[in-house]
Amino acid sequence: MRPWRHRGWRQRTSLLALGAREGREADEARAHVNGCAGCAEDLARLRHALELAALDPVRTAEPPLGIPALLARVNARLDDAAAAKSRRAGRPAWLLPAGALAAGLAVFLFLRPVHAPSTTPSTPAGMAAAQVAVPEDMLGRMERTVTRAQTARYLDEAQDLLLTVAAPRPCARQSRRVDVEQEAERSRELLARRALLVGTSGQDVASARPVLRDVEYVLREVASLPSCARERDLQAIQREVSRRNLLMKIDLMTRELKG
Amino acid sequence: MEESDRDLIGRLARGDREALGPLMERHYRRLYRLSLSYLRDPDEALDAVQEIFVKAFQNAVRWDGGSEVGPWLTRIAVNHSIDRYRRGRRRLAAETPLDEEAGDRDPRLTTGDPSPERRVLGREVGERIASALRSLPERQRAVFVLRHYDELALEDIARVLDMSLGTVKSSLHRAVHRMRERLEGLR
Repeated sequence: MRPWRHRGWRQRTSLLALGAREGREADEARAHVNGCAGCAEDLARLRHALELAALDPVRTAEPPLGIPALLARVNARLDDAAAAKSRRAGRPAWLLPAGALAAGLAVFLFLRPVHAPSTTPSTPAGMAAAQVAVPEDMLGRMERTVTRAQTARYLDEAQDLLLTVAAPRPCARQSRRVDVEQEAERSRELLARRALLVGTSGQDVASARPVLRDVEYVLREVASLPSCARERDLQAIQREVSRRNLLMKIDLMTRELKG
Repeated sequence: MEESDRDLIGRLARGDREALGPLMERHYRRLYRLSLSYLRDPDEALDAVQEIFVKAFQNAVRWDGGSEVGPWLTRIAVNHSIDRYRRGRRRLAAETPLDEEAGDRDPRLTTGDPSPERRVLGREVGERIASALRSLPERQRAVFVLRHYDELALEDIARVLDMSLGTVKSSLHRAVHRMRERLEGLR
């Protein structure tokens, strides 16, 4: 038999070994194998390999967690997702640490004059001086720390998104397209956060500006994709990420910001 | 009377989380093994199954009532496992040199096999299979996993992976030959 004709039989032999041929197709494949020593040998070797593969412990592995525990984990994840959604609808979640910090400072300012040992008469003017002199310096440092932490977190999440975009799922609604609906939505959320970061960060994250600009460019590209995108559009974005060495730059900048 | 999978998905779509329990009872073990066969790490596989059910709940409203629930969950599981595997591989490549065998020697891969000899052989085979699976291109890997571990019909694999039947056949043929080459020498 000519080699090019034999190639088709090799595929059928593989499927026969896997038990993926039935009825007439299986009979034909078996008849061919019976008259072809090479094919019979091939089939025997494939069957042996598949018998070995059937011993893989994964096939009979038991989940390490029972259903009630897993159910609790799933419910906790759904609660988190619902909470995050309602936070996004109102105040951006990333502002919460800053809010908590501001609340803590307010409590500190309110309580400090009362509890601090005082050697001077507790006059309104004295209280005002204590309130202004101590916290301003502290507030500056804390604001800087919070801004840098928020920027690092933003970059971390942007990097996660870019990694996910590099591994798209096929789109269920349109063939030969990829599903980037969640990624596009997430990009829009990140861009909104970026706008707030730029508005508040001042000089605190000046060294991160070039990376932030690059990330913003790519996020805009992702945000503009339709939910079922063409693969070549995604590939163009990936090329841009690679050309700008963006993942590496994000890594380095995040480390610097985290100190 | 026992509720069908479709009824349960209908309840999820209406926001009824109580329907998750019975749905898990039916599909949890299968989806865990499927994810484990792809990811080869029990913790990763468990996280993957958790996310599969989270996604099932969140996307139940978009479920096409005409399709079967099992393949729909399988599709979520495969896509999620592929995502997770790619991300893990990229992170690993960025952070450390890839250790081909590191992820496979996991004593938590417990099996129902009672014989110690077979268990030892099974572990060795498991390691070799993990290594062989890693050598397969993504599409072949997914096709082989769905056939060998989930025992799906070729037509179902085509539906789950959104491929033509011909592509499934040729991918499976190449995958099984590559696996044979990689497993050669094992008794």
